[in-house]
Amino acid sequence: MSAAVPTHAGIRLQQYLWRHPGIARLGVVLMLFAVWEIAARWFVDPMFLSPPSKVLFAFGDVLATRGVPAALRVTFFELAVAFAIAVVIGLVVGLAVGLSKFGNRSVMPIVLLLYGIPQITILPIFILYFGIGPASKIAFGVTHGMFPIVMAVVAGVQNIKPILMVSARSMGASHWQLLRYVIYPHMIPSFFSGMRLGMTGVLLGVLLAELYVSTAGIGYFTSVFTQNFDPTKLLGLVAILAAMAIVLNEFVRRAEVHFARWRD
Amino acid sequence: MDGAAAAFSVILPDRALRIENLGMTQAAIPDAAIRVRNVSHQFGEVGEARHVRALLNTSLDIARGELLCLIGPSGCGKSTLLNVMGGLFTPTTGAVTVGTTPVHGPMPHDIAFIFQESALFPWNTIFENMILGMTFQGVPKSEREDRARRALEAVGLDEFAAHYPSQLSGGMRQRAALARALSLETQILLMDEPFGALDEQTRMVLGEDLSVLLSRSKKTIVFVTHSLGEAVFLADRVAVFSARPGTIKEVITVDEPHPRKPEFMTSAKFHRLRDQLYGLLHEEIRKSMSQSAKPKRAYEDQAKGDS
Amino acid sequence: MSSPRRKFKDRFASRLVQVGFLVVVLLLWYLATTRWGVNKLLLPNPLNVWDQLADVIRKGEYLNDLRITLTELAVAFVISTVSGTLLGYAISRSPYLIKVFEPLFAGIYSIPIILFLPLYVLFFGLGPASKIALGTTISFFPVVLSTIAGFGNVDKVLVTAARSMGASDYQLFRFVLVPAALPVILSGLRMGFTVALLSVIGSETIASLAGLGHRIVNLAENMDMARMFAYIVFVIAIAASLNTVVSVLEARGRRQR
Ligand SMILES: Nc1ncnc2c1ncn2[C@@H]1O[C@H](COP(=O)(O)OP(=O)(O)OP(=O)(O)O)[C@@H](O)[C@H]1O
Ligand SMILES: [Mg+2]
Repeated sequence: MSAAVPTHAGIRLQQYLWRHPGIARLGVVLMLFAVWEIAARWFVDPMFLSPPSKVLFAFGDVLATRGVPAALRVTFFELAVAFAIAVVIGLVVGLAVGLSKFGNRSVMPIVLLLYGIPQITILPIFILYFGIGPASKIAFGVTHGMFPIVMAVVAGVQNIKPILMVSARSMGASHWQLLRYVIYPHMIPSFFSGMRLGMTGVLLGVLLAELYVSTAGIGYFTSVFTQNFDPTKLLGLVAILAAMAIVLNEFVRRAEVHFARWRD
Repeated sequence: MDGAAAAFSVILPDRALRIENLGMTQAAIPDAAIRVRNVSHQFGEVGEARHVRALLNTSLDIARGELLCLIGPSGCGKSTLLNVMGGLFTPTTGAVTVGTTPVHGPMPHDIAFIFQESALFPWNTIFENMILGMTFQGVPKSEREDRARRALEAVGLDEFAAHYPSQLSGGMRQRAALARALSLETQILLMDEPFGALDEQTRMVLGEDLSVLLSRSKKTIVFVTHSLGEAVFLADRVAVFSARPGTIKEVITVDEPHPRKPEFMTSAKFHRLRDQLYGLLHEEIRKSMSQSAKPKRAYEDQAKGDS
Repeated sequence: MSSPRRKFKDRFASRLVQVGFLVVVLLLWYLATTRWGVNKLLLPNPLNVWDQLADVIRKGEYLNDLRITLTELAVAFVISTVSGTLLGYAISRSPYLIKVFEPLFAGIYSIPIILFLPLYVLFFGLGPASKIALGTTISFFPVVLSTIAGFGNVDKVLVTAARSMGASDYQLFRFVLVPAALPVILSGLRMGFTVALLSVIGSETIASLAGLGHRIVNLAENMDMARMFAYIVFVIAIAASLNTVVSVLEARGRRQR
């Protein structure tokens, strides 16, 4: 390589990378994939790990496996419904708690108490009550997703600088106008960052429940592929799900950036 | 033609003339505390977006025991020069000597800094800040507490030794920073807008204190400020910077013994010097503004074109 | 802002609300099982659960599972703490490396890593190794990200000031960088601990041979509701006390830097 005797091109490459950290980052990722490829090809039992090149070509196989597209649809449906419910609950509870002193004093401690519980311990109860179908996944996703949204909405409603409220009042704003023109716009960015955390929570909850027990969702197929020692298909499925998670996260993150742009 | 570019091309040869003049008019001081010789400094490489020529061929001697003020348009390179003097930046070209030693890095035994923000460590109390500074400098453990107490007394903060910086007012924090610098017992103090964040009254009072301190301790002080009044009130000499890339345009002498009384501020001499300084600065500030006022020019040009 | 007494009163009030809430829930639970005839297989009698909990603790039956879970947790947390802080410190020394790695780690952190559990089970088996691996992976990211943020955002003025006073490299690290970065790193460690605990119990719940999560699942499968509820209460109590200990340690670390 050009490391020992830096050629002209070598120096140019160095300077280029120096100016474009993104390219270097891509290089790091590619290197990790290369390590994985080498390890999987020559050092690890193919029963347990398959190289990324093989996984890449297995996407088609995975999607062609009977039931997988339907399972992906089911999982996506669970995520969407759970997220929607979590947002509605989060917004309603958050506003009710954030806007009234009484609500804040009485409900907020309970929200904090419940939020602190490691919910994974009660997953079996969810299955018991909601069955092994999508309902339990949705319910578990909702309970994971709603708390961050509640917290964010409450914070957004409450952390308004008093000077803003006072100045709006001094200009004659009515109660309704305060809500509409001060509290509401102030809450929006906070609400969207809560939605991002909520999405993370929903993904966690739904996937945990799926992996725990599943008859139709992707959890079913991860366990089938694991039991069949088919790492190629398993990796393919996980990659598809990861891509799905990234897209969903990115979607909410974009929204957050857009709605929070007035903040520094 | 673009207005700003035109102004720029006019300025440059003009400035080149001034630099040559300077070499002749400014006499070298024998036995100077700090010697700055032909120092230029640039940030980044030519062609890079962040390339800035901050200092251009600056030479300056600072006599022992004098207080020299640096004054000039914002962004002209005053802080850069101060950092070069103290060995915190290595200049692109040129050299600095302190006494007889060439500067190649921090010189904690000769030079103490005071920065614009107090630069006190927020997780340590005021007293711990004093001790830590001396630990860094290498003062023997047995001496530290005593020196810390004396320094705090000198600035009138002995009652606040156990407070954290965030529990003090801005003025008190700067006094604490001054105390920390004093406790290091260096011959030279480099102060970068130490009172810049304070209100006019507070800085005047702190200025008086500094003047008293100077007359007692015979320290050499280089002091960056934006305040004309502060410069004239404190300085033995005031060095006026040109717009960026900065170099010293003129040095004015303030012939008035320390410690200076508040009455000095109302004297005719004070006002004459202040006006002289204002005249010199005004021109440079206009130039430095025109360097960065392109959008406005463009707007004016367009307005003319429309009519 | 608000006075200490006021703060104390607020905290007292919210504790009171929490206790009241728990009492009401217990009461409703009790009434539901005794008066309103809810099926025992869905909801066991709270008194029954209490007896079971006492039994579990008296017999020391929990000891083996607790030991396994805590060992997995400790190993995972230690590995991610050591690797995360060392790597984070190394990266934080160069703005360029920060630009290369920080978005990479943040990106990976944003996907639900629990997805890799089946892979880990395939790779490391059903035993503790897969739990440790998952716990390490999940807790590594908050630790490394907070270490980068902590050491990467130290106020430059403070570093310059220390250098100007003659601080050596070690002194700069010990008296400036560490105290400045510590609060951020500590909160990253606390977060890492929380997610490590969750992922260890979670992976025990999903696929394992032993551990507290496994025990709960086992009881659920055998429809031994009262004992399962007892174990859930037990695990929640353990998790709560661990989290409290970690928070207290964090607060103390902040004060003592
Ligand atoms: N670390 C740096 N990297 C790049 N450019 C810098 C850096 N520090 C300063 N500069 C540039 O160098 C020029 C001079 O900076 P300097 O801080 O010396 O100005 P100054 O005279 O102290 O200004 P002010 O009065 O506003 O403090 C400025 O244009 C600034 O943009
Ligand atoms: Mg400056």
